[in-house]
Amino acid sequence: MKIITCYKLVPEEQDITVKADGILDTSKAAPKINQFDLNAVEAAVEIKALVGECKITALSMGGKALDNPKARKDILSRGPDDLTVVVDEKFEHLLPHQTARVLAAAAQKNGFDLIICGDGSGDLYAQQVGIQLGELLEVATINAVSKIVSAQDGTVTVERALDDEVEVLEITLPAVISVSADINEPTIPSMKTILAAGRKPVTKLSAEDLEIAEIPALVESVSVLAPKQAERKQIIIDGDDEDQVAEFAEHLRKALK
Amino acid sequence: MMSKLSNVWVFSDIASRLPEVIAGGVQLGEKVSAFVIGSEDEIAKAYSLGATHVYYLGEKDTSKIIEDYAETMAHAISNGDTNTLMLLGATKRGKALAAKLGVQLNAGVINDASEVTVADGVTAKHMVYGGLAIGEEKIVSPIALITIGNGVFEAAQADNSKTGEAVSVSFIEPKAAIKCIERRAKQGESVDLGKAKRVIAIGSGIGKQENLQMVADLGAALGAELGCSRPIAETEKWMERERYIGVSGVMLKPELYLALGISGQIQHMVGALGSQTILAVNKDKNAPIFQYADYGIVGDLNKVVPALISAFKG
Ligand SMILES: Cc1cc2nc3c(=O)[nH]c(=O)nc-3n(C[C@H](O)[C@H](O)[C@H](O)COP(=O)(O)OP(=O)(O)OC[C@H]3O[C@@H](n4cnc5c(N)ncnc54)[C@H](O)[C@@H]3O)c2cc1C
Repeated sequence: MKIITCYKLVPEEQDITVKADGILDTSKAAPKINQFDLNAVEAAVEIKALVGECKITALSMGGKALDNPKARKDILSRGPDDLTVVVDEKFEHLLPHQTARVLAAAAQKNGFDLIICGDGSGDLYAQQVGIQLGELLEVATINAVSKIVSAQDGTVTVERALDDEVEVLEITLPAVISVSADINEPTIPSMKTILAAGRKPVTKLSAEDLEIAEIPALVESVSVLAPKQAERKQIIIDGDDEDQVAEFAEHLRKALK
Repeated sequence: MMSKLSNVWVFSDIASRLPEVIAGGVQLGEKVSAFVIGSEDEIAKAYSLGATHVYYLGEKDTSKIIEDYAETMAHAISNGDTNTLMLLGATKRGKALAAKLGVQLNAGVINDASEVTVADGVTAKHMVYGGLAIGEEKIVSPIALITIGNGVFEAAQADNSKTGEAVSVSFIEPKAAIKCIERRAKQGESVDLGKAKRVIAIGSGIGKQENLQMVADLGAALGAELGCSRPIAETEKWMERERYIGVSGVMLKPELYLALGISGQIQHMVGALGSQTILAVNKDKNAPIFQYADYGIVGDLNKVVPALISAFKG
């Protein structure tokens, strides 16, 4: 089985700051693998264990951050056999429908039986790239996969935890699935797998290599701004002695009215 | 200037969200065309809530998944007005359907919209960067697809004098159908934390599972529902997923929110910032939660919680 697992590099949330005008400053935030995509990679590793004969290719597209050797090693240390990155300056801040089209072109070039994506990414959290990718490739596609039940050549059976019910689905390959954050607990790479990752093959493609048909403009970004926060009283009692807890309890009592 | 589209399509895979999507349709469109899958009663329900047209896709078929109706819906939509919007509830199915329709109709998609406006094009706002910011996007394709979050539109009230005939739509086989081999109701009690008046939320600072009892006692004394941060639900699994608060969990708007051992990172806080009064117990005086609190105490919850229980019990 040929599996592609897609991932995105996003700015480290902890290091994003908000400037006075509400604009986000991501300049000090190092790129890291989107948390939800780690679940996707882990799911691929899980399927490989079930089917035996299997190759996992990690796939990403974006700007020059993808050239970073550390970021490449990071993804490869989590189980993929090789890596394909599509790097172009103009892929730096794509909207989801554009991302899906670039990934579709790359997946077609690579070939696949199953593509696994995360349900969303920590930056835009648009939650549509995986499904759009499957739809563009004209294969079976579904989101919210919460468990891999079984996998063999030609089919995977999965569970899908929805808002009100759980579905067990039999999906004929080729297919694209997006997995939810609770599907697994991503393994932390060991020193051994990190070292081995440095020796795995990497393919770098450019926009030209993919011969992507023109990407339609369907959505435009208008603005990204931090909302104004409501004023809070910020009465903070320092210490948990009897009197201090009693004072806190008094505030709580008033708030209950 | 806010204007109206001549027609807005609506669909909800969950019956309880239908009044909100129809309300959105009424606000943004002259006509409201609802897709209905299910019993005849549900056609009547859609009309009573304010749909002006109902397109009936037939009874629920247990072997089909709702997402396999995408081709059928896309066909109906593309036969109608070219400048149009479809509103869906921001459920997992709603998002899957919207993305499929987006490709089939070559249309822009925005999920989890917190605000939708129609001017020249359809514009929507939604949370980005884990709640740090609000992104505003404009859909420039003739057809727009938007899934809306809870409470964006005030639910429409049913008026049984409003009735109509439904148009039957025949099913179009999807290119690659998915077989549903089993369907079961979700385990566990269902809570709607989003509607609670008082919420006590626990975080990793709770330390051990045994401490949940003491928090439950405080909850009983204050008449509060219990909620938590993500690690408690997803890593420890000490509470159901329905109880975790934040950008990827529940959005609260209670009168009172009391955080116990929660650091207050933005991905959690965005779910709590709608609270009228925010209180926090945390042993680290530099914890970000204190920046968002009305009242805070720098202390050990193992000491503070038992003291609060005795202060509020009976
Ligand atoms: C894309 C993304 C989405 C996310 N979505 C969510 C979400 O929806 N909801 C969510 O909650 N999180 C979410 N997170 C995770 C979030 O960033 C935080 O990691 C999480 O909220 C931290 O949980 P916590 O405060 O319980 O734990 P910690 O950050 O570990 O904080 C524990 C706190 O307890 C205090 N403490 C410890 N012991 C005691 C004691 N005895 N008495 C008093 N205080 C004590 C500590 O001082 C500390 O402040 C998301 C993260 C990402 C990247």
